[in-house]
Amino acid sequence: MNQTGPDRELRVLTVCGVGMGSSLILRMNAEKALSSLGVAAKVEHTDVSSARGMKADVAIAQGLHTDELAGVAPVVIAISNFMDVDGLRRQLDEALRAQEWL
Amino acid sequence: MQADEPRPVGVARPVVEASTAVDVEDWRAAVRAACRPLAAAGAVDDRYAERCIEIAEEHGPYMVLAPGLALAHARPEDGVHRLCLASATLAEPVPFGHADNDPVDLVLAFGSPDDSSHLRLLQAVAEHLLTGLAETLRETPDRERALIVLTDVVQQM
Repeated sequence: MNQTGPDRELRVLTVCGVGMGSSLILRMNAEKALSSLGVAAKVEHTDVSSARGMKADVAIAQGLHTDELAGVAPVVIAISNFMDVDGLRRQLDEALRAQEWL
Repeated sequence: MQADEPRPVGVARPVVEASTAVDVEDWRAAVRAACRPLAAAGAVDDRYAERCIEIAEEHGPYMVLAPGLALAHARPEDGVHRLCLASATLAEPVPFGHADNDPVDLVLAFGSPDDSSHLRLLQAVAEHLLTGLAETLRETPDRERALIVLTDVVQQM
């Protein structure tokens, strides 16, 4: 059993097509958003092909990749504006509460 | 172009280029326009822009990050010789096929020679994008000023 809760760090994966740029910016924003929510998290960034072989609690990516990430994490968050950290924070807040992780 | 100043060992000064009021017919031309000065400077091969385009054709408009803003990039093995960053503001915005963020009028491009050299560069770019870099570049009419703006960004990496 892989129980996720406030007892351990949240595993978060930010994903883009290349794994170099967009996913890295997303990782920085996710770290900001999670820290402002007071959530302890380990955030990693990767490309979509590598992500398919990985497991996380939360996967964050552009909408065009989220279909491919269904098996990667129970929570998949789609982003359209990478500059909207507040929006990401709201999406994370809502998704983590729905899982009762927050 | 800029004064030498100390930089942590192993972190090369990035090549910085800019172009403004670029006339392009479509998103592919916009990506090529952003990458062209980097190729001219020897920071990337000509095929780098083509690889960015291929990735977008394969995966969709991955490079469109926010309304009107694209960040073209591919992988180190796609012909990158030096860490580099460029901007191209477009005379007329063009659609990239993104559901929410079209049309695009500012294309940034970066290249990294390996999997880690760009971390601080992108961190600096991301921080500045959160505090108005895109707007500043859009309002900057000439190439020299755009270069100053981007040089300032990379000096904070």
